[in-house]
Amino acid sequence: MNTKRIIPICSIIPPHMLEEIAKHGEPDQKDWAMHNLSVLGFLRGRRHTLGFFPAAASVGHKYRTVNDNKNKGGDPPTGVLVRKEGGPKSKDRAVNEAYDGAGATYDLYKDIYERNSIDDKGMAIVSFVHYDKDFDNAFWDGSEMVYGDGDGRIFQRFTGCIDVIGHELTHGVTQHEANLAYNNQPGALNESMSDVFGSLVKQRALNQSSEKADWLIGAGLFTPKINGQALRSMKAPGTAYNDKLIGKDPQPANMKNYVHTTQDNGGVHINSGIPNHAFYLTAMEIGGNAWEKAGKIWYVALRDRLRSNSGFKRAASSTISVAKELFGDGSKEHKAVQNAWKAVGVIG
Amino acid sequence: MENKRLRIYFERTGGFAGIGLKTSVDIADITSEEAQELRKMLEGADFFNLPSKIVSPSPQPDRFQYKLKVEEEGRQHTVTISEEAMPAGLNPMVRWLMVRVRKGEDD
Repeated sequence: MNTKRIIPICSIIPPHMLEEIAKHGEPDQKDWAMHNLSVLGFLRGRRHTLGFFPAAASVGHKYRTVNDNKNKGGDPPTGVLVRKEGGPKSKDRAVNEAYDGAGATYDLYKDIYERNSIDDKGMAIVSFVHYDKDFDNAFWDGSEMVYGDGDGRIFQRFTGCIDVIGHELTHGVTQHEANLAYNNQPGALNESMSDVFGSLVKQRALNQSSEKADWLIGAGLFTPKINGQALRSMKAPGTAYNDKLIGKDPQPANMKNYVHTTQDNGGVHINSGIPNHAFYLTAMEIGGNAWEKAGKIWYVALRDRLRSNSGFKRAASSTISVAKELFGDGSKEHKAVQNAWKAVGVIG
Repeated sequence: MENKRLRIYFERTGGFAGIGLKTSVDIADITSEEAQELRKMLEGADFFNLPSKIVSPSPQPDRFQYKLKVEEEGRQHTVTISEEAMPAGLNPMVRWLMVRVRKGEDD
């Protein structure tokens, strides 16, 4: 596509006209129209959120709301407000799980990394539960959290795993900091950051040291019909599941097994196994609570050192230099980070 | 027209889990009501005139990607779609195919 043809977001061409062009135009016009439609789609989402909760961007402190989508779906999602900050518990466990998970995530970032919510400006954390029907996913749509109840065949409800909640909200943190592009190595790093902090939210909530933690992502998300303990394992990437319906966990733990693919935005959920394992090795070598030192190193790198096009080598050099600055040249922490990236084959 | 051969290959990748699902449908293997419904959905989506890539310029994390290939006598077309850029006209067919995936009616 010729980028000169992409007109700005403040386009005066109405969406219905773009849709017609997208359907009936010449190939390059179709691509252009589709591009603009999708950009407008994002804008609609943002405008919706601002309209729905005017103070969303600036409450300045811990503030959560949970909305019930009542299986209606929609993009952006719609919903009825069912719980807000300080409000009584709901009878609906999904509501309470979304509320508590958002709280545990907010607390990890605030108490340990001195970050005030997703945007570090005290943005309200808005969640939608019971999204759509049979919806087997959870995602951060750029301004709010969306959780499905699962399809009941492969997946159970997505609010049931606190690390899934920490994972998704961390996508919001990444968006406001390094803004890692969501494809290939930067995308796998984006995914890995979400797994790392998702796991740390869980470890801190359970008060588990590195040695005690299971280092699994999404343990309990599969229905009992699936042969698998979780979706991913940071301790042993590639071993989380092996099932006749969904296949085998494809994650590599080392650069020599990096998977080149065009699917899944270049294998972002596959190759994240490599930086995931580097974090696990770092935390294990340092010992104690992973969120305190290893987590701090990764957080500072995400906030200050990584850029949207950063790959694994850049992640390695950034975390190594942050460890050196925070804990000293040749410190146990500095060496642990170096050893970890060497062990996964990212540096020689 | 109604007797034309028609085959659909459908694939979903991405999502939080990153676990792919796929199915294929041959119009010869489904009931005539289903076949009629399917042809109507293809028409409603104006499928053969859709661009081959309906993707967002900056993909949202953990969203799904879909790939749809339709083979009809004399023509075929493949479309890749990001969930967040899904055209409204194509949504019913994707939902219909997902129901089939969940039922495990892969041939």
